[in-house]
Amino acid sequence: MPALALKNVNQVFGTGTARVQVLHDVNFAVEPGTLSLIVGPSGSGKSTFLSIAGGLLTPTSGSVWLDGVSYHDRTKKQRDQLRLQSIGFVLQAYHLLPYLNVDDQFKLVDHVKPKGNLDAKQLGELLDELGIADLRKKFPGELSGGQQQRVAIARALYPDPSVILADEPTAALDSARVEVVGALFQALAHARGKAVVVVTHDVRLEKFADQIFAIEDGVLHQVNK
Amino acid sequence: MFLALREIRKEKLRSGLIVAMIVLISYLIFILTSLALGLARQNTDALNSWGTQTVTLNGSANVDMRQSLITKKQAGKLTGDEAYIGQASVVAKAQGHENTSAVFIGLQSNQFVAKKIKLTSGHRPQSDKQLVADTSFQDAGYKLGSKVRLSSDSGKFTIVGFTKNAKMNIAPVVYGRLGAWLDLKDLMPGPIASAVVSRKAGARSQQSSALKTYSRATFINKMPGYSAQNMTFELMIGFLMIISLIVIAVFLYILTMQKLPNYAVLRAQGIPSRVLVGATISQSLILVVAGLIIGTELTALTAVAMPAAVPMAFDVPQLAAVAAGLVLMGLIGSLIPVGAVLRVDPVSVIGG
Repeated sequence: MPALALKNVNQVFGTGTARVQVLHDVNFAVEPGTLSLIVGPSGSGKSTFLSIAGGLLTPTSGSVWLDGVSYHDRTKKQRDQLRLQSIGFVLQAYHLLPYLNVDDQFKLVDHVKPKGNLDAKQLGELLDELGIADLRKKFPGELSGGQQQRVAIARALYPDPSVILADEPTAALDSARVEVVGALFQALAHARGKAVVVVTHDVRLEKFADQIFAIEDGVLHQVNK
Repeated sequence: MFLALREIRKEKLRSGLIVAMIVLISYLIFILTSLALGLARQNTDALNSWGTQTVTLNGSANVDMRQSLITKKQAGKLTGDEAYIGQASVVAKAQGHENTSAVFIGLQSNQFVAKKIKLTSGHRPQSDKQLVADTSFQDAGYKLGSKVRLSSDSGKFTIVGFTKNAKMNIAPVVYGRLGAWLDLKDLMPGPIASAVVSRKAGARSQQSSALKTYSRATFINKMPGYSAQNMTFELMIGFLMIISLIVIAVFLYILTMQKLPNYAVLRAQGIPSRVLVGATISQSLILVVAGLIIGTELTALTAVAMPAAVPMAFDVPQLAAVAAGLVLMGLIGSLIPVGAVLRVDPVSVIGG
């Protein structure tokens, strides 16, 4: 069963002469333990795809399935709940809360979702793996961009979601850092069994992907590696 | 609460500035409230101590006891719940003391008002030349047995007792006998008092149509300057409340606007809006309550240090009501940025 699936999804914004169809009959599925790459130029519909996949936007038509459960027809509150439990977002701008230190970024999740998160040992291992174990008392303002990104990744993984959605995670990184981040996402998929979807225009990530999709003018299609 | 406390702890300067504003505002409101109450009491302390419910005056006196004269015939027969009051404005003069403007209240010793006066020392007047004075005279150096003149030709009076909180029209009261009041007013035969007061509410049964009976509240509100003074204070306090609301709302609005991108990410991650709204409201309440606590402590210190001459009165229930009003203003102020928090669109964080 796919961890995340979009079936015949269309998205239209505006009406009349202002009507724009951003996604055309999109079909997409990602299995647990795989890394999928969605590549495409600016304005191709990547952000809309990610917003619908993440339950932030309701598609004009079609359906979204999360771990076999329909997602698109839920209330906003139910989608918040499902997102908190099953989806980890890694965003281009990390936007860690500036007044929470690294530990408190996880405690915030504990406050709204007390059960099902990584335990202390698992969190310690994750932070070790990400190379930020000694930064737990630091505030975001005291971290470098790369460190903030790894904290953002750890925060996304902390609720132990089945799906990781990443938005342009390498947009501002040099090639060496792209290798590190690409390998990290691959490990999240292969070693941790997560369904990882990375939306990017960065072709340097292609070698880490298990499946690659191209999106252009709102049309998504799988491409051979 | 978690987010609010963490933010306050991290942003000490910013939170400190807001708390400082609340401290200054609450301190100013507390002091003004105490001053308003103190001044109000200096108008009414004497009347309150008598336990009066109604005041009957000459109808042409414009509800001013100083201008009222009534005759025995007009007053009719008094019941045990009624008493004559003779009021005169006097200047107390004594050797070695500054002249003091005061209110002379003449009483009939067998009536309820004279019996109700509580003495802190000495005894009640036993002749027309004896006085019981407000303790402010004692504070000014007068003692039991001190001689004092109340007008140029009324002779000397002896202070034989002191009583607390005897103030009327923001002047200390000297209590004497009704006979002394007649001497001080130097009246032609006829008038017997300025007013008849009653400790029972309602109209008097037997009195001339030339007299009018007023409720205690009406009489107090018609005291010269009383309503204007109270309204001035009420307006100042009201404006300060509104200013506090604006200050809290503006500060929180700016702080919240700066956090919206972070909040959008949290919303994208599934953190419910109620958590973010709760953080905004609890942050406001914590800052307002902290400011109020410090403001209260400052007010208490001021009360201790304030000279007795300053007419301040601290009424805990009234100050608690003012504090509750400020908390309410903080709550309303925090609701303005809450709208922005609720409108945060998590989609905005997708695509950089």
